[in-house]
Amino acid sequence: MKYQHLCVLGLSLLLTSGCSDAPQDNGVANKTGAIAPGTGTQYLTSSEPAAVMEVADARKSAKADEAIAIVGRIGGSEEPFVDGVAAFTVVDLKIAHCSADEGCPTPWDYCCTQDQVKDNIAIVKLVDAEGKPVTDDARKLLGVKELSVVVAEGTARRDESGNLTVAATKIFVRPVK
Amino acid sequence: MLLPWEYSVRNLSRRPVRTGLTLMALSIVILLVFVVVGFIRGLERSLRVTGDPDVVLISSINSEANLESSAIPARTPTLIAASIDGTQSRYGVICASPEMYLGTRVTVSDREPAPGLIRAVTTAAPLVRRSVRIEEGHWPDRGEVLVGRLASAKLGMTDEAVAIGQTLTFEGQTWKISGRFTADGAAYESEIWCNLEDFQSATKRQDLSLVALLLKPSASPGEVSLFCKERMDLELRAVRETDFYAELQQHYRPVRLLAWTVVVMVAGAGIFAGLNMMYGAVAGRIREIATLQAIGYRRRAILFSLIQEGVLLSATSSLISGVIALALLNGVAVRFTMGAFTLRIDGPAILIGCGTGLLLGVFGALPPALKALRSSVAVSLKAV
Repeated sequence: MKYQHLCVLGLSLLLTSGCSDAPQDNGVANKTGAIAPGTGTQYLTSSEPAAVMEVADARKSAKADEAIAIVGRIGGSEEPFVDGVAAFTVVDLKIAHCSADEGCPTPWDYCCTQDQVKDNIAIVKLVDAEGKPVTDDARKLLGVKELSVVVAEGTARRDESGNLTVAATKIFVRPVK
Repeated sequence: MLLPWEYSVRNLSRRPVRTGLTLMALSIVILLVFVVVGFIRGLERSLRVTGDPDVVLISSINSEANLESSAIPARTPTLIAASIDGTQSRYGVICASPEMYLGTRVTVSDREPAPGLIRAVTTAAPLVRRSVRIEEGHWPDRGEVLVGRLASAKLGMTDEAVAIGQTLTFEGQTWKISGRFTADGAAYESEIWCNLEDFQSATKRQDLSLVALLLKPSASPGEVSLFCKERMDLELRAVRETDFYAELQQHYRPVRLLAWTVVVMVAGAGIFAGLNMMYGAVAGRIREIATLQAIGYRRRAILFSLIQEGVLLSATSSLISGVIALALLNGVAVRFTMGAFTLRIDGPAILIGCGTGLLLGVFGALPPALKALRSSVAVSLKAV
Protein backbone atom coordinates (compact mmCIF):
# COMPACT_ATOMS: atom_id res chain seq x y z
CA MET A 1 0.00 0.00 0.00
CA LYS A 2 2.82 2.30 0.98
CA TYR A 3 4.53 1.58 -2.35
CA GLN A 4 1.31 2.27 -4.26
CA HIS A 5 1.09 5.75 -2.68
CA LEU A 6 4.71 6.41 -3.57
CA CYS A 7 4.13 5.30 -7.16
CA VAL A 8 1.05 7.54 -7.52
CA LEU A 9 2.99 10.47 -6.04
CA GLY A 10 5.94 9.83 -8.38
CA LEU A 11 3.67 9.60 -11.42
CA SER A 12 1.87 12.81 -10.44
CA LEU A 13 5.16 14.66 -10.11
CA LEU A 14 6.25 13.33 -13.48
CA LEU A 15 3.02 14.43 -15.17
CA THR A 16 2.98 17.89 -13.62
CA SER A 17 6.61 18.59 -14.37
CA GLY A 18 6.78 16.90 -17.80
CA CYS A 19 5.96 19.94 -19.87
CA SER A 20 6.02 23.63 -19.21
CA ASP A 21 2.59 25.23 -19.54
CA ALA A 22 3.78 28.71 -20.28
CA PRO A 23 4.73 29.20 -23.88
CA GLN A 24 8.26 30.42 -24.30
CA ASP A 25 9.25 32.76 -27.02
CA ASN A 26 12.83 31.70 -26.97
CA GLY A 27 13.70 28.15 -27.86
CA VAL A 28 16.13 26.01 -25.96
CA ALA A 29 18.40 25.91 -28.92
CA ASN A 30 18.38 29.67 -29.14
CA LYS A 31 19.43 30.01 -25.54
CA THR A 32 22.20 27.50 -25.64
CA GLY A 33 23.91 27.97 -28.96
CA ALA A 34 24.68 30.90 -31.19
CA ILE A 35 23.25 30.64 -34.69
CA ALA A 36 25.37 31.63 -37.63
CA PRO A 37 23.79 34.38 -39.74
CA GLY A 38 21.95 33.12 -42.81
CA THR A 39 23.46 33.31 -46.26
CA GLY A 40 20.17 33.80 -48.08
CA THR A 41 19.91 37.55 -47.54
CA GLN A 42 17.41 37.88 -50.40
CA TYR A 43 14.93 35.81 -48.40
CA LEU A 44 15.52 37.47 -45.05
CA THR A 45 13.81 40.65 -43.94
CA SER A 46 14.93 42.85 -41.07
CA SER A 47 11.49 44.11 -40.09
CA GLU A 48 8.56 42.03 -38.90
CA PRO A 49 5.42 42.30 -41.08
CA ALA A 50 2.54 44.23 -39.51
CA ALA A 51 -0.35 41.78 -39.87
CA VAL A 52 0.90 38.47 -38.61
CA MET A 53 -1.34 35.46 -37.95
CA GLU A 54 -0.78 32.67 -35.49
CA VAL A 55 -0.50 29.21 -37.06
CA ALA A 56 -3.77 27.98 -35.51
CA ASP A 57 -5.69 31.01 -36.80
CA ALA A 58 -4.13 30.69 -40.23
CA ARG A 59 -5.16 27.03 -40.44
CA LYS A 60 -8.73 28.05 -39.68
CA SER A 61 -9.09 31.10 -41.87
CA ALA A 62 -6.43 31.23 -44.57
CA LYS A 63 -7.71 30.59 -48.06
CA ALA A 64 -5.80 29.05 -50.94
CA ASP A 65 -3.55 31.50 -52.80
CA GLU A 66 -4.13 34.20 -50.18
CA ALA A 67 -1.16 36.38 -49.22
CA ILE A 68 -0.43 35.81 -45.55
CA ALA A 69 2.24 36.15 -42.88
CA ILE A 70 2.33 33.56 -40.12
CA VAL A 71 4.41 33.30 -36.99
CA GLY A 72 5.45 30.01 -35.50
CA ARG A 73 8.20 28.10 -33.81
CA ILE A 74 10.25 25.66 -35.87
CA GLY A 75 9.44 22.14 -34.67
CA GLY A 76 6.61 19.65 -34.51
CA SER A 77 8.63 16.50 -35.11
CA GLU A 78 12.09 15.16 -34.45
CA GLU A 79 13.21 16.39 -37.88
CA PRO A 80 11.31 19.57 -38.67
CA PHE A 81 13.63 20.55 -41.54
CA VAL A 82 13.25 18.90 -44.95
CA ASP A 83 16.48 17.55 -46.40
CA GLY A 84 17.37 18.97 -49.79
CA VAL A 85 14.73 21.72 -49.77
CA ALA A 86 14.51 24.96 -47.80
CA ALA A 87 11.39 23.97 -45.89
CA PHE A 88 10.41 23.31 -42.30
CA THR A 89 7.38 22.91 -40.09
CA VAL A 90 6.29 25.58 -37.62
CA VAL A 91 4.06 25.16 -34.58
CA ASP A 92 1.75 27.73 -33.02
CA LEU A 93 3.47 29.71 -30.27
CA LYS A 94 0.68 28.86 -27.82
CA ILE A 95 1.68 25.20 -27.83
CA ALA A 96 4.21 24.37 -25.14
CA HIS A 97 7.35 22.36 -25.67
CA CYS A 98 9.66 20.85 -23.09
CA SER A 99 11.71 23.50 -21.34
CA ALA A 100 15.50 23.53 -21.20
CA ASP A 101 15.75 22.34 -17.59
CA GLU A 102 13.79 19.14 -18.30
CA GLY A 103 16.70 17.57 -20.11
CA CYS A 104 14.67 16.53 -23.17
CA PRO A 105 17.19 15.97 -26.00
CA THR A 106 14.69 16.98 -28.72
CA PRO A 107 12.30 19.54 -27.19
CA TRP A 108 11.27 20.68 -30.68
CA ASP A 109 9.36 17.45 -31.28
CA TYR A 110 6.70 18.57 -28.77
CA CYS A 111 6.65 15.06 -27.36
CA CYS A 112 4.43 16.01 -24.42
CA THR A 113 1.87 17.92 -26.49
CA GLN A 114 1.88 15.89 -29.69
CA ASP A 115 -1.92 15.60 -29.69
CA GLN A 116 -2.21 19.40 -29.89
CA VAL A 117 0.39 19.75 -32.62
CA LYS A 118 -1.82 18.19 -35.32
CA ASP A 119 -4.15 21.22 -35.50
CA ASN A 120 -1.48 23.82 -34.83
CA ILE A 121 1.17 23.10 -37.42
CA ALA A 122 2.00 24.43 -40.86
CA ILE A 123 4.81 23.95 -43.30
CA VAL A 124 6.88 26.83 -44.59
CA LYS A 125 8.68 26.30 -47.88
CA LEU A 126 10.88 28.96 -49.30
CA VAL A 127 10.24 29.66 -52.96
CA ASP A 128 12.21 31.65 -55.52
CA ALA A 129 10.90 34.37 -57.82
CA GLU A 130 9.42 31.72 -60.14
CA GLY A 131 7.60 30.03 -57.27
CA LYS A 132 9.86 26.97 -57.26
CA PRO A 133 11.08 25.53 -53.94
CA VAL A 134 14.59 26.65 -53.03
CA THR A 135 16.89 23.62 -52.88
CA ASP A 136 19.23 24.76 -50.10
CA ASP A 137 19.30 23.93 -46.45
CA ALA A 138 17.03 26.36 -44.62
CA ARG A 139 19.32 26.30 -41.60
CA LYS A 140 22.24 27.72 -43.57
CA LEU A 141 20.15 29.95 -45.75
CA LEU A 142 18.16 31.63 -42.98
CA GLY A 143 20.43 31.09 -39.97
CA VAL A 144 17.69 29.29 -38.06
CA LYS A 145 17.47 26.06 -36.15
CA GLU A 146 14.96 24.02 -34.21
CA LEU A 147 12.78 26.18 -31.91
CA SER A 148 13.70 29.42 -33.69
CA VAL A 149 10.66 31.70 -33.95
CA VAL A 150 10.06 32.88 -37.49
CA VAL A 151 7.54 34.96 -39.39
CA ALA A 152 6.95 33.63 -42.90
CA GLU A 153 5.45 35.92 -45.51
CA GLY A 154 4.07 34.41 -48.69
CA THR A 155 1.13 32.64 -50.27
CA ALA A 156 -1.10 30.12 -48.53
CA ARG A 157 -1.61 26.70 -50.12
CA ARG A 158 -4.40 24.49 -48.84
CA ASP A 159 -5.37 20.89 -49.58
CA GLU A 160 -8.58 18.95 -49.06
CA SER A 161 -7.36 17.66 -45.70
CA GLY A 162 -6.88 21.15 -44.28
CA ASN A 163 -3.08 21.14 -44.31
CA LEU A 164 -1.53 24.59 -44.61
CA THR A 165 1.61 25.32 -46.58
CA VAL A 166 3.08 28.77 -46.87
CA ALA A 167 5.10 29.32 -50.03
CA ALA A 168 7.28 31.96 -48.42
CA THR A 169 9.26 34.61 -50.21
CA LYS A 170 10.42 36.46 -47.08
CA ILE A 171 11.34 35.26 -43.61
CA PHE A 172 11.76 37.34 -40.50
CA VAL A 173 13.63 35.62 -37.68
CA ARG A 174 12.56 36.95 -34.30
CA PRO A 175 15.61 37.84 -32.27
CA VAL A 176 16.27 35.96 -29.04
CA LYS A 177 15.11 37.94 -26.02
CA MET B 1 75.15 -16.43 -43.18
CA LEU B 2 71.58 -17.75 -43.56
CA LEU B 3 70.62 -21.42 -43.54
CA PRO B 4 69.74 -22.80 -46.97
CA TRP B 5 66.05 -22.60 -48.00
CA GLU B 6 66.01 -26.37 -48.60
CA TYR B 7 66.90 -26.91 -44.94
CA SER B 8 63.50 -25.57 -43.81
CA VAL B 9 61.65 -27.51 -46.52
CA ARG B 10 63.43 -30.77 -45.70
CA ASN B 11 62.79 -30.27 -41.99
CA LEU B 12 59.06 -30.21 -42.67
CA SER B 13 59.19 -33.50 -44.57
CA ARG B 14 61.34 -35.15 -41.86
CA ARG B 15 58.30 -35.23 -39.54
CA PRO B 16 55.41 -35.84 -41.96
CA VAL B 17 52.76 -36.72 -39.36
CA ARG B 18 53.44 -33.66 -37.21
CA THR B 19 53.62 -31.45 -40.31
CA GLY B 20 50.38 -32.93 -41.67
CA LEU B 21 48.54 -32.40 -38.39
CA THR B 22 49.81 -28.82 -38.10
CA LEU B 23 48.82 -28.14 -41.69
CA MET B 24 45.33 -29.44 -40.99
CA ALA B 25 44.94 -27.42 -37.77
CA LEU B 26 46.11 -24.22 -39.45
CA SER B 27 43.86 -24.86 -42.47
CA ILE B 28 40.82 -25.26 -40.24
CA VAL B 29 41.61 -22.04 -38.37
CA ILE B 30 42.08 -20.09 -41.60
CA LEU B 31 38.93 -21.64 -43.07
CA LEU B 32 36.99 -20.43 -40.03
CA VAL B 33 38.34 -16.93 -40.64
CA PHE B 34 37.18 -17.20 -44.28
CA VAL B 35 33.68 -18.27 -43.15
CA VAL B 36 33.29 -15.33 -40.78
CA VAL B 37 34.78 -12.75 -43.15
CA GLY B 38 32.67 -14.19 -46.02
CA PHE B 39 29.59 -13.79 -43.81
CA ILE B 40 30.38 -10.14 -43.07
CA ARG B 41 31.19 -9.35 -46.70
CA GLY B 42 28.02 -11.11 -47.90
CA LEU B 43 25.78 -9.24 -45.45
CA GLU B 44 27.37 -5.90 -46.26
CA ARG B 45 27.09 -6.46 -50.00
CA SER B 46 23.49 -7.58 -49.79
CA LEU B 47 22.51 -4.34 -48.02
CA ARG B 48 24.76 -2.18 -50.19
CA VAL B 49 23.54 -3.37 -53.58
CA THR B 50 19.87 -3.33 -52.62
CA GLY B 51 19.66 0.43 -52.55
CA ASP B 52 19.13 2.38 -55.77
CA PRO B 53 20.12 6.06 -55.38
CA ASP B 54 17.28 7.14 -57.69
CA VAL B 55 14.62 5.30 -55.69
CA VAL B 56 12.78 6.86 -52.77
CA LEU B 57 10.74 4.75 -50.35
CA ILE B 58 7.60 6.26 -48.87
CA SER B 59 6.38 4.50 -45.76
CA SER B 60 4.58 5.25 -42.54
CA ILE B 61 6.25 7.86 -40.31
CA ASN B 62 6.08 5.47 -37.35
CA SER B 63 7.63 2.47 -39.09
CA GLU B 64 11.29 3.61 -38.92
CA ALA B 65 13.41 0.85 -40.52
CA ASN B 66 10.72 -1.81 -40.17
CA LEU B 67 8.66 -1.85 -43.35
CA GLU B 68 6.54 -4.75 -42.11
CA SER B 69 4.95 -2.48 -39.52
CA SER B 70 4.27 0.29 -42.02
CA ALA B 71 0.71 0.99 -43.13
CA ILE B 72 -0.07 3.84 -45.50
CA PRO B 73 -3.30 4.73 -47.32
CA ALA B 74 -3.94 2.92 -50.62
CA ARG B 75 -4.53 6.26 -52.37
CA THR B 76 -0.92 7.37 -51.68
CA PRO B 77 0.44 6.38 -55.16
CA THR B 78 -2.30 8.40 -56.90
CA LEU B 79 -1.61 11.43 -54.71
CA ILE B 80 2.11 11.14 -55.33
CA ALA B 81 1.66 10.82 -59.08
CA ALA B 82 -0.44 13.98 -59.06
CA SER B 83 1.86 15.96 -56.78
CA ILE B 84 5.47 15.08 -57.61
CA ASP B 85 6.85 16.12 -60.97
CA GLY B 86 10.19 14.43 -60.48
CA THR B 87 8.89 10.85 -60.83
CA GLN B 88 10.11 9.01 -63.91
CA SER B 89 7.64 7.53 -66.34
CA ARG B 90 8.23 4.89 -68.98
CA TYR B 91 5.93 4.29 -71.91
CA GLY B 92 3.32 6.42 -70.18
CA VAL B 93 3.49 4.45 -66.91
CA ILE B 94 4.57 6.37 -63.82
CA CYS B 95 7.40 4.56 -62.02
CA ALA B 96 5.66 4.34 -58.64
CA SER B 97 5.44 0.86 -57.18
CA PRO B 98 2.78 0.32 -54.50
CA GLU B 99 3.83 -2.61 -52.35
CA MET B 100 2.84 -4.67 -49.35
CA TYR B 101 5.67 -6.27 -47.44
CA LEU B 102 5.07 -8.95 -44.86
CA GLY B 103 6.92 -11.69 -43.02
CA THR B 104 4.65 -14.69 -42.71
CA ARG B 105 4.64 -18.50 -42.35
CA VAL B 106 4.97 -20.21 -45.71
CA THR B 107 4.20 -23.88 -46.26
CA VAL B 108 5.87 -25.66 -49.17
CA SER B 109 4.05 -28.87 -50.20
CA ASP B 110 3.63 -31.06 -47.11
CA ARG B 111 6.62 -29.67 -45.20
CA GLU B 112 6.56 -27.74 -41.92
CA PRO B 113 5.75 -24.02 -42.31
CA ALA B 114 8.80 -21.74 -42.38
CA PRO B 115 9.15 -17.97 -42.05
CA GLY B 116 9.17 -16.31 -45.46
CA LEU B 117 9.12 -12.77 -46.82
CA ILE B 118 6.29 -11.75 -49.11
CA ARG B 119 6.27 -8.65 -51.30
CA ALA B 120 2.96 -8.01 -53.02
CA VAL B 121 3.51 -5.87 -56.11
CA THR B 122 1.97 -4.63 -59.32
CA THR B 123 3.47 -4.61 -62.80
CA ALA B 124 5.05 -1.25 -61.89
CA ALA B 125 7.54 -3.03 -59.59
CA PRO B 126 10.09 -4.03 -62.29
CA LEU B 127 10.10 -0.42 -63.53
CA VAL B 128 11.33 0.73 -60.13
CA ARG B 129 13.32 -2.35 -58.99
CA ARG B 130 15.64 -2.19 -61.95
CA SER B 131 17.96 -4.99 -60.85
CA VAL B 132 15.20 -7.61 -60.92
CA ARG B 133 15.43 -10.11 -63.79
CA ILE B 134 13.10 -13.05 -64.41
CA GLU B 135 15.46 -15.97 -65.01
CA GLU B 136 12.82 -18.66 -65.58
CA GLY B 137 9.07 -18.73 -66.04
CA HIS B 138 6.83 -15.70 -66.30
CA TRP B 139 5.43 -12.73 -64.34
CA PRO B 140 2.81 -14.04 -61.85
CA ASP B 141 -0.84 -14.01 -62.86
CA ARG B 142 -3.62 -14.11 -60.29
CA GLY B 143 -2.92 -16.81 -57.68
CA GLU B 144 0.71 -17.16 -58.75
CA VAL B 145 4.02 -16.12 -57.21
CA LEU B 146 7.53 -15.34 -58.39
CA VAL B 147 10.29 -16.64 -56.12
CA GLY B 148 13.68 -15.03 -55.63
CA ARG B 149 16.93 -16.93 -56.14
CA LEU B 150 17.47 -17.17 -52.37
CA ALA B 151 13.85 -17.74 -51.31
CA SER B 152 14.57 -21.45 -50.84
CA ALA B 153 17.43 -20.59 -48.44
CA LYS B 154 15.18 -18.20 -46.50
CA LEU B 155 12.58 -20.99 -46.22
CA GLY B 156 15.28 -23.52 -45.31
CA MET B 157 14.46 -25.74 -48.32
CA THR B 158 16.07 -26.99 -51.47
CA ASP B 159 15.75 -25.22 -54.82
CA GLU B 160 13.68 -28.16 -56.09
CA ALA B 161 11.06 -27.55 -53.39
CA VAL B 162 10.37 -24.09 -54.82
CA ALA B 163 10.72 -24.98 -58.50
CA ILE B 164 8.33 -23.64 -61.11
CA GLY B 165 4.98 -25.41 -60.91
CA GLN B 166 5.24 -26.19 -57.18
CA THR B 167 2.75 -24.67 -54.79
CA LEU B 168 3.17 -22.54 -51.66
CA THR B 169 0.59 -21.83 -48.99
CA PHE B 170 0.52 -18.60 -47.01
CA GLU B 171 -2.16 -16.33 -45.56
CA GLY B 172 -4.68 -19.13 -46.03
CA GLN B 173 -4.27 -19.29 -49.79
CA THR B 174 -2.41 -21.62 -52.13
CA TRP B 175 -0.13 -20.02 -54.71
CA LYS B 176 1.51 -21.61 -57.74
CA ILE B 177 5.13 -20.73 -58.51
CA SER B 178 5.23 -19.13 -61.96
CA GLY B 179 8.87 -18.13 -62.16
CA ARG B 180 12.17 -17.38 -60.53
CA PHE B 181 14.02 -14.05 -60.40
CA THR B 182 17.44 -12.67 -59.52
CA ALA B 183 18.35 -9.14 -58.42
CA ASP B 184 22.16 -8.87 -58.58
CA GLY B 185 22.52 -10.04 -54.99
CA ALA B 186 20.00 -7.55 -53.58
CA ALA B 187 17.86 -8.38 -50.54
CA TYR B 188 14.78 -9.02 -52.73
CA GLU B 189 16.35 -12.30 -53.85
CA SER B 190 15.12 -13.96 -50.66
CA GLU B 191 11.55 -12.77 -51.19
CA ILE B 192 8.41 -14.21 -52.74
CA TRP B 193 6.56 -11.76 -54.99
CA CYS B 194 2.83 -12.00 -55.62
CA ASN B 195 0.03 -9.92 -57.04
CA LEU B 196 -0.89 -6.95 -54.80
CA GLU B 197 -4.67 -7.27 -55.18
CA ASP B 198 -4.55 -11.02 -54.49
CA PHE B 199 -2.50 -10.47 -51.36
CA GLN B 200 -4.70 -7.62 -50.12
CA SER B 201 -7.69 -9.90 -50.51
CA ALA B 202 -5.91 -12.80 -48.75
CA THR B 203 -4.83 -10.61 -45.83
CA LYS B 204 -8.10 -8.64 -45.78
CA ARG B 205 -6.13 -5.41 -45.87
CA GLN B 206 -6.63 -2.42 -48.12
CA ASP B 207 -3.59 -0.39 -47.13
CA LEU B 208 -0.01 -0.54 -48.43
CA SER B 209 3.32 -0.95 -46.68
CA LEU B 210 5.24 1.40 -48.94
CA VAL B 211 5.45 3.10 -52.29
CA ALA B 212 8.78 2.96 -54.12
CA LEU B 213 9.33 5.87 -56.51
CA LEU B 214 11.90 6.04 -59.27
CA LEU B 215 12.96 9.66 -59.62
CA LYS B 216 14.28 11.39 -62.70
CA PRO B 217 18.06 11.91 -62.49
CA SER B 218 17.47 15.66 -62.20
CA ALA B 219 14.89 15.34 -59.41
CA SER B 220 15.69 15.63 -55.71
CA PRO B 221 14.43 13.27 -53.00
CA GLY B 222 13.80 16.49 -51.06
CA GLU B 223 10.77 17.04 -53.31
CA VAL B 224 9.25 13.79 -52.03
CA SER B 225 10.16 14.62 -48.42
CA LEU B 226 8.47 17.99 -48.88
CA PHE B 227 5.31 16.28 -50.15
CA CYS B 228 5.33 14.01 -47.06
CA LYS B 229 5.71 17.01 -44.75
CA GLU B 230 2.97 18.91 -46.55
CA ARG B 231 0.55 15.99 -46.32
CA MET B 232 0.79 15.70 -42.54
CA ASP B 233 -2.57 13.95 -42.40
CA LEU B 234 -1.13 10.94 -44.27
CA GLU B 235 1.77 10.57 -41.78
CA LEU B 236 4.29 9.63 -44.43
CA ARG B 237 8.05 9.44 -44.36
CA ALA B 238 10.31 9.52 -47.42
CA VAL B 239 13.79 8.10 -47.44
CA ARG B 240 16.21 7.47 -50.27
CA GLU B 241 16.56 3.71 -50.72
CA THR B 242 20.34 3.80 -50.32
CA ASP B 243 19.90 5.69 -47.02
CA PHE B 244 17.31 3.16 -45.88
CA TYR B 245 19.72 0.25 -46.36
CA ALA B 246 22.60 2.27 -44.88
CA GLU B 247 20.35 2.71 -41.82
CA LEU B 248 19.76 -1.06 -41.80
CA GLN B 249 23.52 -1.58 -41.92
CA GLN B 250 23.70 0.50 -38.75
CA HIS B 251 21.09 -1.78 -37.19
CA TYR B 252 23.29 -4.76 -38.02
CA ARG B 253 26.42 -3.05 -36.68
CA PRO B 254 26.43 -5.15 -33.48
CA VAL B 255 26.24 -8.32 -35.61
CA ARG B 256 29.18 -7.17 -37.70
CA LEU B 257 31.13 -6.19 -34.59
CA LEU B 258 30.42 -9.61 -33.12
CA ALA B 259 31.55 -11.29 -36.34
CA TRP B 260 34.82 -9.33 -36.32
CA THR B 261 35.30 -10.30 -32.68
CA VAL B 262 34.89 -13.93 -33.75
CA VAL B 263 37.57 -13.38 -36.43
CA VAL B 264 39.96 -12.02 -33.78
CA MET B 265 39.13 -14.85 -31.38
CA VAL B 266 39.53 -17.55 -34.02
CA ALA B 267 42.83 -16.02 -35.13
CA GLY B 268 43.92 -15.81 -31.46
CA ALA B 269 43.04 -19.47 -30.96
CA GLY B 270 44.98 -20.28 -34.12
CA ILE B 271 48.05 -18.45 -32.85
CA PHE B 272 47.91 -20.41 -29.59
CA ALA B 273 47.51 -23.68 -31.51
CA GLY B 274 50.45 -22.68 -33.68
CA LEU B 275 52.50 -21.75 -30.60
CA ASN B 276 51.73 -25.10 -29.01
CA MET B 277 52.72 -26.94 -32.16
CA MET B 278 55.92 -24.96 -32.66
CA TYR B 279 56.93 -25.32 -29.00
CA GLY B 280 56.61 -29.10 -29.50
CA ALA B 281 58.53 -28.98 -32.75
CA VAL B 282 61.35 -26.85 -31.37
CA ALA B 283 61.56 -28.78 -28.06
CA GLY B 284 62.46 -31.92 -30.01
CA ARG B 285 65.16 -30.11 -31.96
CA ILE B 286 67.17 -28.42 -29.19
CA ARG B 287 70.32 -30.46 -29.96
CA GLU B 288 69.96 -29.77 -33.66
CA ILE B 289 69.64 -26.03 -33.03
CA ALA B 290 72.68 -26.11 -30.70
CA THR B 291 74.68 -28.03 -33.31
CA LEU B 292 73.86 -25.41 -35.92
CA GLN B 293 75.09 -22.74 -33.51
CA ALA B 294 78.27 -24.79 -32.81
CA ILE B 295 79.17 -25.08 -36.47
CA GLY B 296 78.92 -21.34 -36.85
CA TYR B 297 75.37 -20.34 -37.78
CA ARG B 298 74.28 -17.20 -36.00
CA ARG B 299 71.18 -17.17 -33.81
CA ARG B 300 69.50 -14.70 -36.18
CA ALA B 301 69.96 -17.12 -39.10
CA ILE B 302 68.49 -20.05 -37.14
CA LEU B 303 65.58 -17.90 -35.97
CA PHE B 304 64.94 -16.86 -39.57
CA SER B 305 64.99 -20.50 -40.68
CA LEU B 306 62.47 -21.51 -37.99
CA ILE B 307 60.15 -18.66 -39.00
CA GLN B 308 60.57 -19.77 -42.61
CA GLU B 309 59.27 -23.21 -41.63
CA GLY B 310 56.26 -21.68 -39.84
CA VAL B 311 55.45 -19.35 -42.73
CA LEU B 312 55.87 -22.16 -45.27
CA LEU B 313 53.34 -24.25 -43.37
CA SER B 314 50.88 -21.40 -42.84
CA ALA B 315 51.16 -20.23 -46.47
CA THR B 316 50.33 -23.77 -47.63
CA SER B 317 47.39 -23.83 -45.20
CA SER B 318 46.22 -20.44 -46.49
CA LEU B 319 46.32 -21.74 -50.05
CA ILE B 320 44.42 -24.91 -49.15
CA SER B 321 41.81 -22.94 -47.17
CA GLY B 322 41.53 -20.30 -49.88
CA VAL B 323 40.85 -22.94 -52.54
CA ILE B 324 38.26 -24.67 -50.30
CA ALA B 325 36.62 -21.32 -49.46
CA LEU B 326 36.42 -20.29 -53.11
CA ALA B 327 35.20 -23.66 -54.30
CA LEU B 328 32.80 -24.61 -51.52
CA LEU B 329 31.91 -21.52 -49.47
CA ASN B 330 31.66 -18.71 -52.00
CA GLY B 331 28.00 -18.19 -52.91
CA VAL B 332 26.57 -20.45 -50.22
CA ALA B 333 23.18 -19.09 -49.12
CA VAL B 334 22.76 -18.12 -45.47
CA ARG B 335 19.40 -17.57 -43.82
CA PHE B 336 19.15 -14.34 -41.84
CA THR B 337 16.43 -12.27 -40.14
CA MET B 338 16.13 -9.84 -43.05
CA GLY B 339 16.03 -12.63 -45.61
CA ALA B 340 18.98 -14.52 -46.97
CA PHE B 341 22.30 -13.65 -48.54
CA THR B 342 25.29 -15.50 -49.91
CA LEU B 343 28.72 -15.87 -48.33
CA ARG B 344 31.13 -13.74 -50.32
CA ILE B 345 34.76 -14.76 -50.62
CA ASP B 346 35.99 -11.72 -52.51
CA GLY B 347 39.33 -9.91 -52.71
CA PRO B 348 39.23 -8.37 -49.22
CA ALA B 349 38.10 -11.72 -47.72
CA ILE B 350 41.02 -13.53 -49.40
CA LEU B 351 43.40 -10.82 -48.21
CA ILE B 352 42.15 -11.03 -44.61
CA GLY B 353 42.09 -14.86 -44.57
CA CYS B 354 45.55 -15.34 -46.10
CA GLY B 355 46.98 -12.40 -44.13
CA THR B 356 45.76 -14.00 -40.89
CA GLY B 357 47.32 -17.29 -42.01
CA LEU B 358 50.71 -15.75 -42.67
CA LEU B 359 50.61 -13.87 -39.35
CA LEU B 360 49.87 -17.18 -37.62
CA GLY B 361 53.03 -18.61 -39.19
CA VAL B 362 55.23 -15.73 -38.05
CA PHE B 363 53.85 -15.21 -34.55
CA GLY B 364 53.40 -18.95 -33.92
CA ALA B 365 57.06 -19.66 -34.63
CA LEU B 366 58.66 -16.64 -32.99
CA PRO B 367 58.29 -17.31 -29.21
CA PRO B 368 59.38 -21.02 -29.17
CA ALA B 369 62.31 -20.27 -31.48
CA LEU B 370 63.46 -17.41 -29.23
CA LYS B 371 63.14 -19.66 -26.19
CA ALA B 372 65.25 -22.41 -27.78
CA LEU B 373 67.95 -19.95 -28.83
CA ARG B 374 68.20 -18.43 -25.36
CA SER B 375 69.73 -21.65 -23.85
CA SER B 376 73.52 -22.03 -23.93
CA VAL B 377 75.04 -24.18 -26.70
CA ALA B 378 76.93 -26.45 -24.24
CA VAL B 379 73.78 -27.29 -22.23
CA SER B 380 71.65 -27.74 -25.34
CA LEU B 381 74.14 -30.16 -26.95
CA LYS B 382 73.73 -32.47 -23.94
CA ALA B 383 69.92 -32.28 -24.04
CA VAL B 384 68.13 -35.62 -24.52
